[in-house]
Amino acid sequence: MPNLVPASLIDLSRPGHYVHWGFIDISVANLVVICVMVLVFVLAITLPFPHGRKAKR
Amino acid sequence: MSRSRSFKPDRDVAEWKGPVVRYDLFKEVTVAFVVVLILAVGFAAIFSSPDEKPITLKSWSTAAPVDFVQTAITELDGTSGTARYGPPYNSTQGASQKLGPVSLENLAGVHIPIDTAQDFVVKPLLTLPGATALDGAIARYEGAGGAQRASWNAAYEKAAAKATYPGHLSVPSGSYGPVGLMMSDLLAMARSGALDGALTSSGQLYGTDYTKPLLFIADGQYMADVAGNHHLQGTQWGMMNETGSYPGQAWLWLYTMWYQIPPYSTSSNGDVLVWGTMMILTLLLALVPFIPGLRSIPRRARIYRLIWRRHYRSLSAGR
Repeated sequence: MPNLVPASLIDLSRPGHYVHWGFIDISVANLVVICVMVLVFVLAITLPFPHGRKAKR
Repeated sequence: MSRSRSFKPDRDVAEWKGPVVRYDLFKEVTVAFVVVLILAVGFAAIFSSPDEKPITLKSWSTAAPVDFVQTAITELDGTSGTARYGPPYNSTQGASQKLGPVSLENLAGVHIPIDTAQDFVVKPLLTLPGATALDGAIARYEGAGGAQRASWNAAYEKAAAKATYPGHLSVPSGSYGPVGLMMSDLLAMARSGALDGALTSSGQLYGTDYTKPLLFIADGQYMADVAGNHHLQGTQWGMMNETGSYPGQAWLWLYTMWYQIPPYSTSSNGDVLVWGTMMILTLLLALVPFIPGLRSIPRRARIYRLIWRRHYRSLSAGR
């Protein structure tokens, strides 16, 4: 029976790459995710709020 | 007479009486849900998900038959990791980890009793139908005294260290009595897939308890090698890794970090020390509002002034 499920566009099932620094040993994939999380956090703080309704007293 | 206490900004904050803004929480939840849904579907289409085939007794014994037999004999003679694990599987003296004088494993007791010789070897072999020679071998083994069985087991373990598999199991001859036939039949049973079924059968329609096959597999070297190739071992920060190039459980970085540094990495009580440390840190986190100094970090870090910078800018402009 033919495989009806399309393969993924980017194949991540190949062996991963790892960064070693002292006792720290982290996969590049995890490092990317952590960097993206930090970036999203910085953007969430620095990007201006969309203008909401005018404040009222 | 009442004593006036000093004002602490983290404790005695005044009620906000300034301007307020209407906020539609339902709208925010809906927008967040839709965004996450689009991201999840999009990432699934682009990257798919890990689909590593599970390691079973069948796949292990097919890929590494000699390792399987060398492990199986340790299950029979009671020297495997599972056989000597202690609670919750058995009551091996001195095997359980301790937090100071307390052994949490011993407190919980043996509540998943496993006799590796019976549960992993003898009982599964007895389920094979029409195996007259094997039944005779098992009866001979079971009927022998403890010293005789230990002698057979030791002889087979020594011989199995030099075993090969050139299309069939080849073990150097020795005085291991019925153990040779039991081990070769257990290997054949595992390679057929019948051992997986025998160890998961629970008397119910669907066997979903994989405790026994997982313990058996974990006693061998094969799974450790596969895990090592995928960077999943405890010494490789494996708790936060995933197979292939997929990102893993990055949020477990702190839990797995302790395993890399002394005394956790060198102590025989490493697991319970890591658990205890994490429990203390979790307690500290839960009690942050009550801990002077720690609770002041958000106020002193002043990140809130970045978030509400327009407000603080207008305040300073109005001065």
